[in-house]
Amino acid sequence: MKARILGRADVLEIVDQLRRQGYEVIAPFCGRGRDTFFDTVTDGNCAEIQIHLPNPYYPPKRFVLPHIERLLKVQSSRDKILIEPTYESPKLAIFGIRSCDVAGISHLDRFYLGREFRDIYYEKRRSNLFLVNIVCTDLNQDINDECFCVCADTGPAARDHFDLQLMDLGDDFMAVAGTPAGEAMFANPIFRQGVEADIEKRRAILNNVRKRFKSTTSWFSATVRYISLGEVLEKTWEEIGNRCFECGGCTYVCPACTCFTVSDRRVGPDEIERVRIWDACALGGFTRMAGGHNPRKAVHDRRNRRFFRKLAHYFIQRELSMACVGCGRCADVCHGDIGMPSVVEIIRRAAAEIDKHELVTH
Amino acid sequence: MNLSHTENIYLPKVAIIDRVMDEIAEVKTFYWHFDDPAEQGAFSRFRPGQFAQISLFGVGEFPSSLPPSPTEEETFFTIRQVGSCTAALHKLKAGDKFAVRGPYGNGFQMEDYYGKNLVFVAGGIGLIPLRSCIVYALKHRDKYERIQIYYGSKTPKELMYSANLREWVESAGVECSLTVDRSEEGWTGNVGVVGSLFRKPGVQVPVDNTIAFVCGPPIMFRFVIKDLLELGFQERNIVSTLERYMKCGVGKCGHCCIGMAYVCADGPVFTYEQIKKLGENI
Repeated sequence: MKARILGRADVLEIVDQLRRQGYEVIAPFCGRGRDTFFDTVTDGNCAEIQIHLPNPYYPPKRFVLPHIERLLKVQSSRDKILIEPTYESPKLAIFGIRSCDVAGISHLDRFYLGREFRDIYYEKRRSNLFLVNIVCTDLNQDINDECFCVCADTGPAARDHFDLQLMDLGDDFMAVAGTPAGEAMFANPIFRQGVEADIEKRRAILNNVRKRFKSTTSWFSATVRYISLGEVLEKTWEEIGNRCFECGGCTYVCPACTCFTVSDRRVGPDEIERVRIWDACALGGFTRMAGGHNPRKAVHDRRNRRFFRKLAHYFIQRELSMACVGCGRCADVCHGDIGMPSVVEIIRRAAAEIDKHELVTH
Repeated sequence: MNLSHTENIYLPKVAIIDRVMDEIAEVKTFYWHFDDPAEQGAFSRFRPGQFAQISLFGVGEFPSSLPPSPTEEETFFTIRQVGSCTAALHKLKAGDKFAVRGPYGNGFQMEDYYGKNLVFVAGGIGLIPLRSCIVYALKHRDKYERIQIYYGSKTPKELMYSANLREWVESAGVECSLTVDRSEEGWTGNVGVVGSLFRKPGVQVPVDNTIAFVCGPPIMFRFVIKDLLELGFQERNIVSTLERYMKCGVGKCGHCCIGMAYVCADGPVFTYEQIKKLGENI
């Protein structure tokens, strides 16, 4: 991949360059306290874009998969039905998307565009999306105690699926092009050829950053094995389930969750909109059928479900990635402390318990 | 990316009700056709055991199995009124419009069963998806060995597809036994659960070289499976179709995912061997 160097003062010129190309640019901003968010860049706020900040809880997934998305507009009366699909594919660029979230979008790509059926709504939005990834290098701002991208193998520096990647080297930034569209950005004179020392610097910074991660998911691969083989005991799932408040928060902040429900809403006397809305397997009604039968009634069955879907070998093989990118948001927002790192930890402890009683004979 | 040839998997097509028939209490059969003849032609190549998504705009969309056989002229749904969508459908009359998309799912691989005995075991409205296979198999009668039907409902009034049942009971090509949980005046047939038919004098369920199709409420399913395994059936020779409230029908929305399977895309037809491995309640 081609790399270039640009001065610190020129970084936000990339935002202007994208806006001149007709992109609506989305970038991260700071609110009050820990609050950070992605918002549309305007002439008024462009100076406040943050390069280093805690990753916003509300993931940028919504720019390819809005939490409510209209699918159809329908004129409907008893003897006449006119159905019109409604597509939106704004030319969007996300500036400052973190590596974990880049991995999240690449997971969605394989889920929505892979297999037998392609999702045209997702595809149209995705084809007009430009990603400027920023590598997490600020040990105090970018990386918090719950981050575990090093365990999920998605960061701190994404290896692919971005158009352009920026990394803070101190006085300068390194830009790496991931696609021809990203490389075309290098026509701007702010980018210059780098030297060997820049690459050395990049390596040294990444080595140092990797040491910052605290979250204990070192048992991740073993958890994948235990879950895939169905060896996690029912009572362990019950312990996890007992701590679930069934708020659905983990799924709404997850960059890799894909489930949705479909609903019709009346917008005029004979006019209906069909929309899809993010849904959550944590919620009791998720599997309820007409007539009331609900095959997945117990909370712990639903927790089991979530982690099975995310980590079972079968799905990893199918989508070529776990449905967990190590962003740590579920750990941050869960009131019952059963985000991914804690679940891995609970399963680890439970497995140690089984091993203690294992009989070894001659 | 070239998007010009991509099809919208969520786009239903307008359909028109031809006539509505009362089947049993709260269950009606809706004969219908697509507004666009080209859609009708594409749709009519469905396989027994597949399903379709039915849209009642303003209320919602729901999945339904396809009771007709692809060998029949007319397309129809048989729907019990259980929720808001089905209630809206039940209000429709001949000439009214709604929308359909599909067919979806794997369906029963009827060609793979050529040369085998077929045993159909249905309870209540579980006959709806199996009707398709039965009609298909009887249309291709010379391709199969013995064909048996065991069908039960709560009361005689709740036996579905009475015209078909009469035909199957009278036909020489098929052994059809009926039963009810509770008898009513005029009923001279068997009283008891479906599985009780297997042990009746004169009944002989072929086990070797046989595929058993089982469809019905969860409790009936459990007992029939037990009976079939006791008779000596292998788990891979028992097939069924699972039910979930699919929101998309194409493996995206996640609502029907059980264990490793998306019921809509990987199913809804599974062998009992596969169902056991799903690792969740069905």
